[in-house]
Amino acid sequence: MPPRKRPPQPAKASETPPETKPKMSPPSAAASAPGTDKEVRILPDAALAGLPAPERLIYKLVFAGGDKGMAQTEIRIKMGMPASTLTKHLRNLTGGKSILKVVNSVHKRAEKIYMDSRLDPSPEITGGTWYRNGQLDSVAVASARRRCLDQVDKLGVAPADAIHEGISRDCPGVAYSIEQVRDILRTMALDRELEEVRSTGVGQFSDHRAGKVCYRRGGVPQGGMMERIPCGVCPRIDECSPDGVISPSTCVYYKKWLQMDF
Amino acid sequence: MVSQHGIFLAVSIISDHFGPLVSKVCRCLLRHGALPLQEIVRRLELSPGQVKNSLLVLIQHNCVQAFNSPRGSGDKTTTHYLAIFENILHRQRFSKFVSVIRADIPESEALLEGLLQNGRLTFDQLVERTISKIPEGSITPTREEIRMNFNKLVFAHYVERCPKPEPFFDPLVDEQPTLTRKRAPKTVEIVLSIDKKVVNTAALSDAERYSEIPCIMEDASNANDSPHSSISGAKRKRNAIEVDAELNSTIAENEVLYRANFEKFIFCLKKKFCAERKKPKLKVGTHPIREAFFEASLIERDNNSVTSPINGILERLGQKEGSTSMTLDHITRVLEELNCSPSSEDPDSFTLDLSRIIEASRNEEIESLVKKKYGQEAFIIFRLLVREGCPVETDKIIDTTILDKQIVHGTLYKLWKDEYIDTERILSGTGTGNSQFFVWRVKNTFREQFIDNLYHAALNLRQMVNYIAELLLEGSKDDTKLRNRKNILILALIRHDDSLMLFQDF
Repeated sequence: MPPRKRPPQPAKASETPPETKPKMSPPSAAASAPGTDKEVRILPDAALAGLPAPERLIYKLVFAGGDKGMAQTEIRIKMGMPASTLTKHLRNLTGGKSILKVVNSVHKRAEKIYMDSRLDPSPEITGGTWYRNGQLDSVAVASARRRCLDQVDKLGVAPADAIHEGISRDCPGVAYSIEQVRDILRTMALDRELEEVRSTGVGQFSDHRAGKVCYRRGGVPQGGMMERIPCGVCPRIDECSPDGVISPSTCVYYKKWLQMDF
Repeated sequence: MVSQHGIFLAVSIISDHFGPLVSKVCRCLLRHGALPLQEIVRRLELSPGQVKNSLLVLIQHNCVQAFNSPRGSGDKTTTHYLAIFENILHRQRFSKFVSVIRADIPESEALLEGLLQNGRLTFDQLVERTISKIPEGSITPTREEIRMNFNKLVFAHYVERCPKPEPFFDPLVDEQPTLTRKRAPKTVEIVLSIDKKVVNTAALSDAERYSEIPCIMEDASNANDSPHSSISGAKRKRNAIEVDAELNSTIAENEVLYRANFEKFIFCLKKKFCAERKKPKLKVGTHPIREAFFEASLIERDNNSVTSPINGILERLGQKEGSTSMTLDHITRVLEELNCSPSSEDPDSFTLDLSRIIEASRNEEIESLVKKKYGQEAFIIFRLLVREGCPVETDKIIDTTILDKQIVHGTLYKLWKDEYIDTERILSGTGTGNSQFFVWRVKNTFREQFIDNLYHAALNLRQMVNYIAELLLEGSKDDTKLRNRKNILILALIRHDDSLMLFQDF
C-alpha cells in the first residue's frame, strides 16, 4: 500500500482545537521526537539493563516497527511466546517503566498497537489531521470546507495555493497546510460543491497560468430524470414484472405518487 | 444485444400501435434475432398468412428490415427478417419529431405527419393524403406547392428514400477478415453488431438517399417553338432529355418510397438537448452567444459535433436584444470558454464537440440517481471510483473522501450489493500489518444495468397509462381526476424518453 499523504498527528492532538491545526511536518519527521528535528534513537543497553531479557527483546522488536508500531499478535508470532507471558511483559513495559505505549489504530479499533513511548504514531495509525482520538473530526472538516468555499466565492476562480493564501490572510488563527487545503478542495470537487477546471490562461483565468488546476463554484446539478418517477428509486424494481405480484397496476409507490386514493 | 426490459418495452409499443399479433412476431424477432418466415411460423405456431401480414406491417413502418442470406452451399438464398429495435423505440418520439419540423419548416409539418403515420409512402400517395386532409372550405394546395414543401424536407435530410428492400448479406463472409484487413494498420475499429451491418448494407448512398423530386418545367412543351430549335440533332437531344426528366420525375413521384429520416431527427434532438443542458452553468451575457452558435449551425459533418461559421453567429447575434455592442474579440473569447474550438477545416468556423457534453450528462444522470438512492456519501464514493477508473483500496477511499470509516464501509457494501461496484480481496505481503486488502471498482456493466432500468421504468409508465385508460373506459366517478393523472404520466413518459435517448441514441 502506498504511504499516506496525511501529515502526522500533532504532539497534543487532543488539546489542539480543530481550527488551529499545525502545519504539515516533513515526511522525515515520522521517526523524530515531537517538535524537534532530532531523531529518536533506540534506548542504550545501559538504560535497558534493569529489564529482563525477554522484555529487552520485545522492546527492540517494537522499536523496529517505528511510528507504525506493532500489534500484539505480530509481537507474539515473532517472539514465539505464549500470550499470557507476553501480556505480562507488555504490562511491565507500558506500566511503571513507560518504555512502550499503547495506541489505538483508526482502522482496527479493537487492536492494540505498541510503540516506543517517545514516538508519535504515524498518520496511518491515527488517521491523519482530520482525525481526533481515532474519530473523524467532522467539525474541523466542515469549518475547513466553509473557509475554502468563502475564498472561492471571493476569488471567483482560483487555484489551491491562492485559496490557501486567502485563508491564511483572512483567518490568521488557523494554520492549514497547503496539503490540507488541497485535500478539502478535492473532496469538494467530488461532491460537486466546487468544479475542478484547468486554466486556459484567458478570460476569467487570465490571472492563472494556462493548464493550472483551478476551482470554482459547481453549477446547479442537472439531470435526475430517472429519480423523478417512482421506478427510479424503487427498492423492489427487481421483483416488478408486468403480470407479477408487484406490477405497475398494483404498485403502492405509484398510487402514492399519483395520489390515487379513489 | 437488447436487454430484457428493452424487448418488453419495444413489444409493448408495437402491441399498443398494431395489436397483439404483430407484437408477437416482433417479440420473436427481437428475442431470436434475424429469422426466415418459416422459422417464425414454426416458433409462433401462427398461420403463414398471419405472420406475413404482420411482417408487412412492420416493414411498412420501418421496424423490420428484410435481407437475403445464402442457404447452404448452393446459390439459393433465403429472406431473413430483422427487427430494428431503435426504430421501434422512435415510435414513442413522433411528437418530438413533429415539433422539430414545426420549428424549422412549419409548412411541411402535414407531410411529415403523413410519413410518420404511414411509415413509407410515395410522393403521389402523400399528395393524395394531404389533399384529402384539407378541411372543406380551405384552399387546396397545388401539387407543385406540395412538391416544393416536400423537397424542402428532403433537402434538409428530414425525409429520405427508403433503403434497399432486400439487400444481400452473408453473416459468415462478413465475420471472416479479408486480406486487406489483415494488412491494414492496427487502428481502433468500432465493432458493429450484425443488426447495424444489415442496416448499413441496406442503406442507399447519400446522393440517392436525399435526391429530391425533379421539377418539370411546365413550358417544356413550348420548347419546340423556340427559334433556337432549328437544328434537328439538338432538338432530338433536348427531347430525349425532357423525356428522361419526365420519366425520372414520374418514377420519383409514383414508385419511390420515402420515409422520415430518424437519424436526422435524433441529431436535432441531441443538439437541442446539449444546448439546453449547459444553460444553468452559463455566466450572464453568454446565453445569447451560445444560442446564436446553435442557431447558426449549418455544416453537419458527423453526428457528434456542431459547426457554425462566425459570420452566421454574428448575424444571429445581431437579431438578439442587447447583443449588438459585443465585439468580435469578446464573442470569440466566450465561444472558447464554452469549449467551442476553431474548426480545423475552416478557421472562420467554430466547432463544439457534443460527445463530451453527452458523456458528462450520462455520468450526471447515473450519479444523481446514486445520490438519491444511497445518499451524499455514496455519491462522493461513486464519483471517485468512476473518476479513477481503476481499483481503489478502502483506506484510500476513506483518505480521499474524508468520510467516516464506518460510513464508507456501509456505503461500499450497499453499492456492491446493488451491483454498482465490484470488489476484490488482495492478500497482503508481510510487514504491512494487514493480512488482506479490499479494492473496489465501478462495475463495467453498471451502465447497461442503468439502461435496462430505464427501459423497465418506461415500460411501467406505459403500463400505468394503459391501466388508467382502461379505468377511464370502464367509466369511473372521478373522470377528471383520472384524466389529470393520465396527463401526468404521459408527461413523465415524454421526459423519461429524453433519458432513454441520452443513453441509447445520442
